[in-house]
Amino acid sequence: MQYKPRMKTASFWFLTGSLFLFPVLFLIVKSFTLPWRYQADFHMHFTLRGWSTLLSENQLISATFISLLIGAVVVLLNLIIGLSAGKALAFYQFKGKSIMDTLFLLPLIFPLLAIAMGVHIAMIRLGLADSWIGVVLIHLVPTIPYSIKILRNGYVSLGSAMLEQSTSLGANVRSRFLTIELPLLKPALRSTIFLTFVISLSQYVITAIIGGGNVVTLAMVYFPFLQSASSTVLAAFSIWFALVPILFYLIVEIILCFLPYQSPWRIKT
Amino acid sequence: MRLSETNKAWLLLLPAFLFLLLPLYGLLSALWSSLTVNGAFSLSVYQQLMERDAFWGSLFYSLRIAIIATLLSLGFGLVFTRTFTHYLNKTSGKLAAWIPMLFPHFVWGYLVLLLFQQSGFISYMAFQIGIIESREAFPILTNDKNGFGMIITYMGKEIPFVILMLLPIYAQQNSQYHDLVRTLGGNRWHRFKDAEWPWVYPVLLETGVILFSFIFSAYEIPYLLGATFPEMISILTYDWFYAGDWSERPLAFAAMIFTSVIIGIIAWIGFSLMNRKRWLLTKGSR
Amino acid sequence: MKKSGLVGFIVFIFLLSACSQGQSQQSNPNDLSWDEIKQQADGTTVNIHMWGGDEGINQYMDEWVAPRLKEQYNITLERVPMDTQNILQKLQSEKQAGKKDGTIDIVWVNGENFKNAKENGLLYGPFRDQLPNFNDYYDQDSLAFQYDFGTPTEGYEAPWGKVQFVFQYDSNKISNPPKSFDELQSWINENPGKFTYPNPDDFSGNAFLRQLLYATVDDPKEIIEEPFSNEYATKKAEPMWEYLRTIKPDLWRNGEHYPASLTELDRLYSQGDVWMTMGYNEARAEHLIEQGVFPESTRSFVMEPGSLGNTHFLAIPFNSSNKSGAMAAINFLLSPDAQYKKLEPTYWGDNTPISVDKLPEEQQKKFESLDRGETVLSTERLENSFLPEADSGYVEWIKENWKDEIIRNQ
Repeated sequence: MQYKPRMKTASFWFLTGSLFLFPVLFLIVKSFTLPWRYQADFHMHFTLRGWSTLLSENQLISATFISLLIGAVVVLLNLIIGLSAGKALAFYQFKGKSIMDTLFLLPLIFPLLAIAMGVHIAMIRLGLADSWIGVVLIHLVPTIPYSIKILRNGYVSLGSAMLEQSTSLGANVRSRFLTIELPLLKPALRSTIFLTFVISLSQYVITAIIGGGNVVTLAMVYFPFLQSASSTVLAAFSIWFALVPILFYLIVEIILCFLPYQSPWRIKT
Repeated sequence: MRLSETNKAWLLLLPAFLFLLLPLYGLLSALWSSLTVNGAFSLSVYQQLMERDAFWGSLFYSLRIAIIATLLSLGFGLVFTRTFTHYLNKTSGKLAAWIPMLFPHFVWGYLVLLLFQQSGFISYMAFQIGIIESREAFPILTNDKNGFGMIITYMGKEIPFVILMLLPIYAQQNSQYHDLVRTLGGNRWHRFKDAEWPWVYPVLLETGVILFSFIFSAYEIPYLLGATFPEMISILTYDWFYAGDWSERPLAFAAMIFTSVIIGIIAWIGFSLMNRKRWLLTKGSR
Repeated sequence: MKKSGLVGFIVFIFLLSACSQGQSQQSNPNDLSWDEIKQQADGTTVNIHMWGGDEGINQYMDEWVAPRLKEQYNITLERVPMDTQNILQKLQSEKQAGKKDGTIDIVWVNGENFKNAKENGLLYGPFRDQLPNFNDYYDQDSLAFQYDFGTPTEGYEAPWGKVQFVFQYDSNKISNPPKSFDELQSWINENPGKFTYPNPDDFSGNAFLRQLLYATVDDPKEIIEEPFSNEYATKKAEPMWEYLRTIKPDLWRNGEHYPASLTELDRLYSQGDVWMTMGYNEARAEHLIEQGVFPESTRSFVMEPGSLGNTHFLAIPFNSSNKSGAMAAINFLLSPDAQYKKLEPTYWGDNTPISVDKLPEEQQKKFESLDRGETVLSTERLENSFLPEADSGYVEWIKENWKDEIIRNQ
């Protein structure tokens, strides 16, 4: 592991830089310049137009807050469902487990639009349509499969012996969960939270159908602009859209610090 | 009251079952619409579907693109994670590698378009330096029949996801296994095969199934970066779904159900293989 | 923890869902006088759901319409960005589930969407003839208001604007734009790779083909006046497919890939990959130039035998909880002031369906002297080339057949 660490550092940053960071920088530059033309001499025209269009959008701030709140509830429910189901799938052997696995994948295979359409009628009858609860519930569909898989893998790599040991030492279920499982699952928790929030944030069609326009999330404001021919406006909106999960991530990191037995910002190895 | 082991498992799975009602309800109502013609049970919609050449063409094309994009993402993601575990464990490295996940697929696709199309940034730079004489000399990499543009977009978006799935394993990797293999005289390949692969393989398989399902059925990227022909199955079903007076909806539902069942069966076989392996792993503690 | 969390969650959902029920129904505005309607609308909120992808349109609604509607009718206007397809989908599900107190009060529709909505009983009406502004300033007998892509409107929608299909070109690169489809064909032949049209699954691409269909039959009337049938369309469309097959090798990318949307074509045009674009709004270039997307040398043109035009409308969903408010708001949107502001290039630049000669003299002058911008053809030129839309059956028929005729079997 220790050979040529400098080379390795350089190649890591070169790869992430060119594959992941460069496109984002490119997007930022795009948001401040008029569309470029293919011509002999290179021109970039600076403009604030993209950002002023973004900020003049009436519903931007309220939509961002609604997205944060809905995302937070979606993440919470994901953790409850994901932790319990993940544990069951990791530690217990029972018949039909592979079928369960397949069923949990179903929401990813079957088009969301069709699921939302069917569920919509049921939700209207239950009075859940056009409300944020309905939107939260439908956002569970594309997110739960991921959280179950990630948290299950988290439990698998924990190994059941560790848990059995603590039980035999007399820890009850509750304290075992809080003091052993949660802290050790931190990498998996972090992934789950991040991923489910991002997925929830970018749901457009199902939010539109179930929320019925009563629940204006950021995606509702942002997606119509994807049809804009102006790369400037599109870029500015996209950057704003990407800042929201970062904000959420920071909030979550602060909360994660309060988990027992953990020094902040570090993963136990 | 003491619960038996199996009952405990079912209790833990209860919230997930409740959740499953949502997609299952959606699936069943779609199944219902595809099986009823004028209020009576009929398979005629499926018959119609089987007779459409466009359906089969799109199905095989989608399979090809989804398999290639999935395998490439898994391969690159695995190599990247195991080479750079140390860096990815740090907050800065993690954030850098996860950045593409902040953007919806559509935006990443749009970026690929801005960079790779014939009048895009790369072509333009090549033109400025003098490598190519005109934009027409730049190869067609977006909206192309081979799906290069789609595949590169999915790789950009999914490699970070593969890293996200694999990182916990590598982060918690027990170095004793490595040392054991090393003391027994294993070379690097043996270390990988005996000390890593058994843990990595189930997660990799599972991630692969997730990616494959997603890429196979996603609509946005093919809309932005796909060729007019051949088209991905999602584009075809979407067109049927929204066609004029909604009269082709049953056909769209039938196509969705049919393809979902195929992917479902493939996934089930994959999971069956994996579960057996993984069970042995959890019990044998590390 | 998990068990109690779950129970709590279920209780929580039912509590909250109980709160979202309710809201009383208004009496049917059909039986009311306009004054009573206005009175009922006073102090209410009207939700207009409309496509939200154009900043000009959004700002027109938010910055100009909303404050004035509040001032004049004491109505709060809430604009909700949503695609028409999704709106209709939502209404259809609500119809199936029997939901009476809907959340949408006004929708913006035309063509296929209107036909769909009307045939599935998703619209409230008739209401148009109760609107004072429609009665005072619009031509009651105009065919453009009685039919929408061949579907009788029967008072279920009120005309909000009208647009014509025009082509845009870069005057720095092309000095004489083609005057007919024949000239276009020779231009494409001489300038290979510089023209393409959007896939007919796209609204604008489909309009391009309908326009071509008019041009390749002996007389556009054959398409406009005859009722639609598959056989008739198949018979009449052969020269159109022939034309498309002829130009195909000289199109952008040799006609092997077509832009999936007008946006894609606009981007190609803006980067100079192709030298022409097109669209269903004669003033669209104004904004795109201002945004720096189109080059400033962009101009527009129409070709023989003419340019397709259509009217777009406002309608009220069957389950709107505030039909009176919706009617008052629509009446305001049809008013001369609102129409004038909409026509100005500042926000939107959308043409008005109003009959200018029915306006007071002062306003007539205002409308007539308005400068819509350099890229917009003269009113006279546009009116002379106007061709109405044929039956909406052609839209779907073209979508279904284009791929087989042009792409797959070649």
